[in-house]
Parts: sequence; structure tokens; C-alpha cells
Amino acid sequence: MQTPKFKGTHLFDRLCWAKENLEGVQSDYRVVFEDSVDECAKILVPDPNWMACALQGGILPPVWVYHELAKDEAQPDFKKHTRGYLLHNTEPVPAMTEEEAIEYLILKDCPESVWKTYNEGNRLKMVICKKEQLPQTREWRNAWKISDDLSLTDLAA
Amino acid sequence: MAGKIIADTLEHSTAGSLSTEYVVNGSAKAWVRYNGTGTAAISDSFNTASIADNGTGDYTFAFSSSMNNSNFACNATSKEVDGSAANNNGTGAMPYSNATGSFRVLNFSPDGNPRDPAIGNTSTMGDLA
Repeated sequence: MQTPKFKGTHLFDRLCWAKENLEGVQSDYRVVFEDSVDECAKILVPDPNWMACALQGGILPPVWVYHELAKDEAQPDFKKHTRGYLLHNTEPVPAMTEEEAIEYLILKDCPESVWKTYNEGNRLKMVICKKEQLPQTREWRNAWKISDDLSLTDLAA
Repeated sequence: MAGKIIADTLEHSTAGSLSTEYVVNGSAKAWVRYNGTGTAAISDSFNTASIADNGTGDYTFAFSSSMNNSNFACNATSKEVDGSAANNNGTGAMPYSNATGSFRVLNFSPDGNPRDPAIGNTSTMGDLA
């Protein structure tokens, strides 16, 4: 199905169109990340309807739009967004592969402190894996950490 | 898109009229139904980009279309076990820490301990950016 020309259409309306016309896509990818040494590993799960939008193309705004809004929100005198038009008026991104969509989602929904320096320091802060590679039960969930066996050297190789 | 109705007011033949602002402001802007047991997964949703499984009973939901400010309202409910077994305890869910792009929910069992819900639901009301 061809995506209508959506530039200038409110993002909410674009999502309404996607909900009505696209089948959700359950991704097998998960992103495991650690944003604090005192907390357990967190797992980012892509939404199936969002993934359908990413694969379809022409619906989601570029990820830098979210970064701009985050900058605004970080201002001490922030009360409400005044640049919401960036979400709606910026040219939507074209179709992505599932892997590109996961990269987009990391930049959007993982803390910047994780993705900017995920491969720096003594151990990994973030790993993309298949859900089958995660523990299948929730036992000791609050003690889960990224395995030290996954070294930065392995990644480089 | 096919078809568009532009109206400021809806009028019923006997019951009176209603500004369409009530419809716009009173509609949920996002919702999610998810399963937090095993490997967390989203069953269905609207205006949600991802959930982050932060630990037992602890989830962050990220919007696709952000809210205008962090003073939006989100409701969360959950059920510990899917189905209708006798030990099917209900669980309470407590939304907290709203940001314009996401919000976080904690799920508890009746004894106050964090629990992963077999069925978790959230819906969000407020203004979009």
C-alpha cells in the first residue's frame, strides 16, 4: 500500500492512518541497555504498530525532531512545547529496514548517555539481541546485567 | 485521506449540542496493552513507539507523537495472571514520572510487592505537542 503524502499532516493523524491500514509487525529484536551501575539491565521492546510505520515509510518524523524537543524540555523554564510543529511539518523519513528501525528507536528511546558511549569504558552498556537470547523466565529479573563475556574486543572483531 | 468533516459543534435533535473540543480533549491520545511476563511484549497499542522493561513490574512507555507538557494523565491497570484461575490476583499499577515523550508505570500485587503483569493496560489523556 502506498503511503499518502503526509508532509504537514499532524503526526497523530498519520498514526491513525497507519493503525487503520497497516498490520502490526512484532519484531524479534530487543535492545538491552544499562544506564546506571546501580540498576539492573533494561530491555527496550519495539511496538508492533510503530515498527509497521517504520517499515512502511513516509509516516514517522526524523529522529532529530525528538532530540530537538528533548532539548526544549531540558530548559529550566520549560512549561510546554512550542515547537511541536517539528513533529508534523518535517518531511517524514522513508521506509527503513527492521535493523535501521531498531537503530532509530535506540536514538529515540534509549538515554543519550547510553547510545553515545555504548562501546566506551570497561564494559558494554548496550547490546542488540534477539528475544530468544534473553532469559525466558523472570527469575532474578532485578539482578540482570549484560554479560561480561560480551567484550568490546568481540565487537571489534 | 477519504472524507473529512470539519465542525465546531455536534448537535443532537433533542439532547442539545456539544463542542467538538470536548471530543478532541476527551479522547485518549495513546494506549497500550502489554504482557510483562517472560520476555515483555506489546499486544496492541496506539501512539506508542516502545516499552522499556526496567525490572520487575517497572515499565516505561514512549510515545510516537509526544504530549505538549508533562501534566497529562495516564491510567494503568494490570492483572497478574492471564485467564480466570482461582489464584488470579489483581495487581495495582501506579503511573509516575511523566515526561512529554514517555511515562513510567509500576505494577504491584495486593501485598505491595512489584509484580510483572500478564495483562497490563495503560491509556493517556492530555494535550498533544
